[in-house]
Amino acid sequence: MEIIEHPPIFRLPGIPDHVTYTWVVMLILTAIAFAASRNVRLVPRGLQNVLEVVIEQFLQLIDDVIGHEGRRYLPLIATLGLFILFGNLMGLVPGLSGPTTNLNTTAACALVTFFAYHYIGLRKQGAVTYLKHFMGPVPALAPLMVPIELISHLARPLSLTLRLFGNMTGGHILLAIIFFLMGLDGLIGWALGGSPAGVIVGGIGGLVMVAFTVGFLYPLKILVSFLQAFIFVMLTMLYIAAAVEEGEHHGAQRRAEHH
Amino acid sequence: MRRSLILAGLLVFGFPGLALAAEAPAGGSLVGPYSVLVAGFAMAFAAGLCALGQGRAVASAVDAMARQPGAAARIQTAMIIGLALIESLAIYVLVVAMILLFVQPIK
Repeated sequence: MEIIEHPPIFRLPGIPDHVTYTWVVMLILTAIAFAASRNVRLVPRGLQNVLEVVIEQFLQLIDDVIGHEGRRYLPLIATLGLFILFGNLMGLVPGLSGPTTNLNTTAACALVTFFAYHYIGLRKQGAVTYLKHFMGPVPALAPLMVPIELISHLARPLSLTLRLFGNMTGGHILLAIIFFLMGLDGLIGWALGGSPAGVIVGGIGGLVMVAFTVGFLYPLKILVSFLQAFIFVMLTMLYIAAAVEEGEHHGAQRRAEHH
Repeated sequence: MRRSLILAGLLVFGFPGLALAAEAPAGGSLVGPYSVLVAGFAMAFAAGLCALGQGRAVASAVDAMARQPGAAARIQTAMIIGLALIESLAIYVLVVAMILLFVQPIK
């Protein structure tokens, strides 16, 4: 990937970039949380207010998808969502690298989701009841249903991983290729070259290209960043909801009552 | 029509072989140039078919939202999840194309 993408400016020797920037995201999130909760008031102001809005949005999503008892999984879901969102957005800052553009980071997030929802399902329903779900509604169909269910469960972390990684990396490659095709380096070099024609043509051309990038591609990538974080969180909640559901019939009934 | 299509296909897919036949060293394989071509075509097919699928999904969702504006929020959530699942198929192809282009496991 180094062929088309410049490595980030700040690098620690011997440590891969995505690990470094995962730590940076963790530092930022911890700092925000610390600054907001250092001085908690009943009537929130400033940063505390912002964070309360964010948490309330998460809670509302959880209420919609899992139900009211899903609120105890807020730490898992909100942490995943905020980490992925900040990781995605960090890739957009020039000179920094987004941790989610690396397959290892997204795979780690997806594995956390995978083990978490199985653990939650096992805890909630007990091992026998939970494993019975893998056998389908009719016992006679079990030889058919068990492989299908196993494959579908194993495909979940794979698709979570590849979706986030592919979206983020695809966007980066698109950005890099458009910079390359626009010849931005050449235009800016021309503008800085000193000749009057070069300054006019290169300067105007460079400004148009930068305006196109900042005005069109960056909003698009910010949208994709939010959307992918949302989708990851949404699918995590759906998997947890499927794991805590007490069988098809009860679940449908409870959901109908809830709404 | 069909004959010209076959000819065009032969021309396109045979071209890297022809172009590189002179330069390819003895024992050098053509997998590299072909993989570049295949990566581009794979992404084109995947993007086109994915757009067809997503178009159907969005059309139905907008239809449903217009009929029942009260349920718009729930329909939108379901639509976004569905779009993500459809899009992940194209993303798989993108990952395969990137592996072909950058990792090059088979030279």
